Amino acid sequence: MPFLIRQTLIYAVPLMLVALAGVFAERSGIINLALEGIMIFGAFMGVLFVRFVQQWGWFQAAYDAKNIFSLQCFCLLAMLFAAAMGALFSLLLAFAAINLKADQTIGGTALNLLAPAVVLFFIRIIANQNTLNMYKDDAAGWFMLKKSMFGYGRKEEMNFLGSTFVDKVYVATYICIIVFVLMAIILYKTKFGMRLRSCGENPQASASLGINVIKMRYAGTVISGALAGMGGFVYVLTTANCSANGDVAGFGFLALAVMIFGNWKPLNICGAALLFGLFKCIAASYSTLDINGDGVYMLKELNINTNIYRMMPYVITLIVLAFTSKSSRAPKAEGIPYDPGKR
Amino acid sequence: MKKILALFLTLALCLGAVSALAEAVNPADIEDTITSEDGTYVLAFVTDVGQLKDKSFNEGTWNGVKTYAYENGLTYKYYQPANGDQATDDDRYDAMKAAAEAGAKVIVCAGFMQGTALAKAAAEYPQVKFVFIDGWAFDGMDNEVGVAYKEEQCGYFAGYAVVMDGFEKLGFSGGGGGTNPACMRYGYGFAQGANDAAAKLGKTVELKYTWAYGASFSPSAELQTLISGWYETGTDVVFSCGGSIFQSITAAASANDAYVVGVDVDQSYESKTVVTSALKGLVEGTRWAVAKAFDGTWDEIGGTAVSLGVKEDAVGLPVETWALEAFSVEDYEALKAAMISGDLVVDDNAPANPAEVAWSNLTVDYVE
Repeated sequence: MPFLIRQTLIYAVPLMLVALAGVFAERSGIINLALEGIMIFGAFMGVLFVRFVQQWGWFQAAYDAKNIFSLQCFCLLAMLFAAAMGALFSLLLAFAAINLKADQTIGGTALNLLAPAVVLFFIRIIANQNTLNMYKDDAAGWFMLKKSMFGYGRKEEMNFLGSTFVDKVYVATYICIIVFVLMAIILYKTKFGMRLRSCGENPQASASLGINVIKMRYAGTVISGALAGMGGFVYVLTTANCSANGDVAGFGFLALAVMIFGNWKPLNICGAALLFGLFKCIAASYSTLDINGDGVYMLKELNINTNIYRMMPYVITLIVLAFTSKSSRAPKAEGIPYDPGKR
Repeated sequence: MKKILALFLTLALCLGAVSALAEAVNPADIEDTITSEDGTYVLAFVTDVGQLKDKSFNEGTWNGVKTYAYENGLTYKYYQPANGDQATDDDRYDAMKAAAEAGAKVIVCAGFMQGTALAKAAAEYPQVKFVFIDGWAFDGMDNEVGVAYKEEQCGYFAGYAVVMDGFEKLGFSGGGGGTNPACMRYGYGFAQGANDAAAKLGKTVELKYTWAYGASFSPSAELQTLISGWYETGTDVVFSCGGSIFQSITAAASANDAYVVGVDVDQSYESKTVVTSALKGLVEGTRWAVAKAFDGTWDEIGGTAVSLGVKEDAVGLPVETWALEAFSVEDYEALKAAMISGDLVVDDNAPANPAEVAWSNLTVDYVE
């Protein structure tokens, strides 16, 4: 059970963060199809940051001394760097969509095409291959919390809470959850959030009340870029041993689906991401899943074809989408370039 | 004055060249990409699926090519077939053609999947010599040599060693989806070694065996989850048998403070989780074949297939970085001697699913 929860979070947390990134952009009136591209770019920048800092030896002393706090600060710095670079990258979309009033779908698609190309171009220059790895060791050794750090031996078990939420987890996952909650509160409970949302519903009315629509839409897109960039880095940190290869396995598009699935509302998004992550995790590890702890691997004994399990996350998403899409309500003004003269 | 300066410069250059020659060459210090003056590259390398720097199969072969070229002052270049993991025979052929047209005299191709493309290219460019690593000979083609390895032998050593060292729950995660003969031999040898060691110790060991998520030899979140599940439920050591999937497996192992067996080259430099590696002498085998092409003795091997094994000292375990405790280097040497003398024979007729074979002291759990 602890294993299932832990692994589910690994899949679900980047997904919900990036879906929230989509919400920020769309609530301000900009369709951000570029989530995938921004994730790829953020992932690359984060890995690059980790690689160079390791190469310069800045945190080597902390690693040798097993100083968990310093290493987690290093990880946080990499996340912030990835977020900043994601924000920078999303400015391209903001500029095209807001200043040039270009078609947002096409702008986003362009970024999705641009990101892997640019990233692979630089990776080839830096690493002479298609994958950029950490400079040394592995991601788990540097950034993961392990029971051995708290004095437990290899064969000793922590209690349920410990082995679920402390052993073998990345602090980055929790930081993402905190960021998710904070950003959701900002969007719904602050003056800024309300103004931002109004620009996605009726920008002309917002402008008549003195809100700068251009500024708000820039803010929405840049926050969206930052969250997606951070999500991209956390995804490769936790699932790909902190390596970037111009691909995040379609998680950006999945995040779009989760956003629509979650009806542009944070709580629903959270649920949708967890559901998807759970089935993704079951598909990969059903043969060693012991849900009630009795030593029997139930799902394996059912003897169902592996491919059925692998289809499940996508089939479930489709089914739930089919049932919920009737009641779903997108922001009214999303995708429409802001024209102050329009009534 | 000018003349003296020129003289000095020449001298400095000569000295530089001499000192460069005097140093032992470390493959990492040799550039992967060079620019030749006349635009031709004499020694070419066409990669298998996966990365050039996969720290395993491609990189080992490439190091053989690179060091030979460097020491003999030849120009060299690598070609990665287009479309990465999805490369078709046409993509591979195009890479070989590009190499041949860039003036290659010898083209080294790594991986059995290049067979079809290679047969076509070798027929089209009879003046170019082809070295087919992990490959075979083509009928009536004297400009090609197949260099294969007896992977089952080093797989056997690795399986025997980890069981003798006290591990009881083993895993095997292979690349190529159960169709790559080299990976299949590795895995089958690993199972046989584990079985024999368990028989010697009088116990039964478990082996989880899978080809899942490894078909493209690239790391994935799913593979990491799968292997994490294994480690979580007690597996102690997993044989990572397929280039870059090592990334996923070592990440899972590191998270669980568990162990990994590396493949092709000594991977203990990559991660602290590696207890030993099943080696095959890619550098030596490649250099040996390439040298034959350049020193005029090509006729000895052209058109044939060689299979390098423990007798040629082409497969084994890394003794310099020995990390096993209960199973010592002497034990390993004794085992090796038995294999060389022929007392110990490892079956190389590898099935994709070893659960189909009857084992005396091994339970194979085949995970689809």
